[in-house]
Amino acid sequence: MPDAEGRVTVALVDDEAPARSLLREYLAAHSDVVVVADCANGFEGVKALTELKPDLVFLDVQMPKLDGFEVLELIGPGPVVIFCTAYDEYALRAFEVHAVDYLLKPFGRERLAEALTRARARLGEARTGSTAVSPSPSRPGELAAAARPPGHWIERVVIKDGSRVQVIPVERIDYLEAQDDYVAIQSEGRTWLKTQPLAELARGLDPDRFVRIHRSYVLNLERLARLEPYAKDSRMAILENGKELPVSRAGYARLKELM
Amino acid sequence: MHPLTQSRLRLALYLLAWAVLGALIAVLLAITRGTPIVNALALMEPLALLYGLVCLSALWVCRSLPLDRTPPGKLLGGWIGAALQASAVWVGVGTPWAVLLGRAGVISARREELMGGAAAFFVLGIPLYLGSLVLHYLLLAFEASREAERRVLESQVTAREAELRALRAQLNPHFLFNSLNSINALVGVDPERARRMCESLGDFLRRTLALGARDSVSLSEELALVDRYFAIERVRFGDRLEVERDVEPAAERCLVPPLLLQPLVENAIKHGVADRIEGGTVRVAAQIADGALRLSVENAVDEDSAKRPGEGVGLQNVRRRLDALSARQTRLDTRRENGRFRVMLTLPVRLAAETGAAGPAARST
Repeated sequence: MPDAEGRVTVALVDDEAPARSLLREYLAAHSDVVVVADCANGFEGVKALTELKPDLVFLDVQMPKLDGFEVLELIGPGPVVIFCTAYDEYALRAFEVHAVDYLLKPFGRERLAEALTRARARLGEARTGSTAVSPSPSRPGELAAAARPPGHWIERVVIKDGSRVQVIPVERIDYLEAQDDYVAIQSEGRTWLKTQPLAELARGLDPDRFVRIHRSYVLNLERLARLEPYAKDSRMAILENGKELPVSRAGYARLKELM
Repeated sequence: MHPLTQSRLRLALYLLAWAVLGALIAVLLAITRGTPIVNALALMEPLALLYGLVCLSALWVCRSLPLDRTPPGKLLGGWIGAALQASAVWVGVGTPWAVLLGRAGVISARREELMGGAAAFFVLGIPLYLGSLVLHYLLLAFEASREAERRVLESQVTAREAELRALRAQLNPHFLFNSLNSINALVGVDPERARRMCESLGDFLRRTLALGARDSVSLSEELALVDRYFAIERVRFGDRLEVERDVEPAAERCLVPPLLLQPLVENAIKHGVADRIEGGTVRVAAQIADGALRLSVENAVDEDSAKRPGEGVGLQNVRRRLDALSARQTRLDTRRENGRFRVMLTLPVRLAAETGAAGPAARST
């Protein structure tokens, strides 16, 4: 939130140095703007946004390992966002995560000034308390999932582990387990916790590979070794690593459909 | 599917020919035996049409005994065997028909006449079937030549399509947008470099259009284009992009299809540099080995990145173009090991001088 003198703190997150230097040059003309972080990738971006809590972030979409949307998913509600990208196909998703503007590269000074004006207005509303700074969803993962184009399944799951960011490619996931408000992600003998309901995370996963075998479990089909009868109407899924998971009746029906 | 039954018109013409043949035999019968012509026609027309249908089976005989790949003895034996069988079927079905007509008083019911007729038809059936075999061989040859013609046309269309696609991929708008944004940034901080970048970009585009208009270019021209591309991307990625080159001088003189290397280099930069935080080295190599030109483009891959099944659009395009050029003489292999991804192309060695076009057309830059 802008301080008493109305200064706006800004973070730049873009993997291309020329793109960041252009933003710096343009922003230098605006005396109320202070650039507090200059980040060359998504990981640096998450760290800076979490620690420095700037008012505004200029965010590239296509970056190695952690894209702009994943950065937002990890930091949760926070800064006002202006996307900067050469690709116009993310505009709809940007709108759905309430970005204040979407700058298409290459852009000029006037276009940036316009975006800044919008950002200041959004920040001003926040200060007077009329709205939250960024009316982001209570759970950013929800929006990230909703804004994904149909037929496109997520390829990796991102998790914030304290100040560290963990990226897990979906093919390395063994299974997911619901735990209260968390999902426990089991991958290569380790457990990662992500604050997101199981159903929501499962919605983004390719349904031909990940099956909800039980109210609390989603299984990566490639890890399934065999099924064994357990009690009346229920079965056990035995994984390749020997782990046993319960399979409900509905879960068994879904499994049968795929096998 | 039988080519004669594919269209009603063809089948009608074919059966009409048999009906005419049947009528001729009926006339012959009327003259020699004194059978009334209407009665002779009543006997002959169904028999002729029936044999016409039996003779359609010649297609399968022709297919199983191709003229160019069957020893003469087997050919002759096969033909005669098939003709005997077909004629036997004809007489086998035709005799009861004649007996039936004889009982009805349409034709003579005398036993000797019926037997003699059956023998005569059996003898007649053999040359008729052989004639049908000839007709079917001709039909097959005709279809084969049309098929070959179609395939040539198809491969020409595929090749053109692949070239068009290559050209379109070359002028990838995001590459242009990002390059313009880099120039936009440089104008403020380093105008001299911005100018050089404009020059590189213009040069790259001009070369792309010039090379794309030709059927083949020397590898050195293709490499010069790739160098411009690297120079432009170097501005965007800075130290994250490293380039290594290992090209035999002899290989540089080889002719290659235009714009073949650049999509591979673009892929290598995308996966080996843009998708990696620390960037990486893109290595381009070319040499002549075992009488073939071997090109390779190599980049680092992220161990964490998903091993996507299949190939991306860029690789598919290159593969299609090589196939259209010559599926037998060219190869595209990919290998992923030790954290590196490598695409290897194998092409026939063609030197610029061999085509007689070593003049300005082939050498100009």
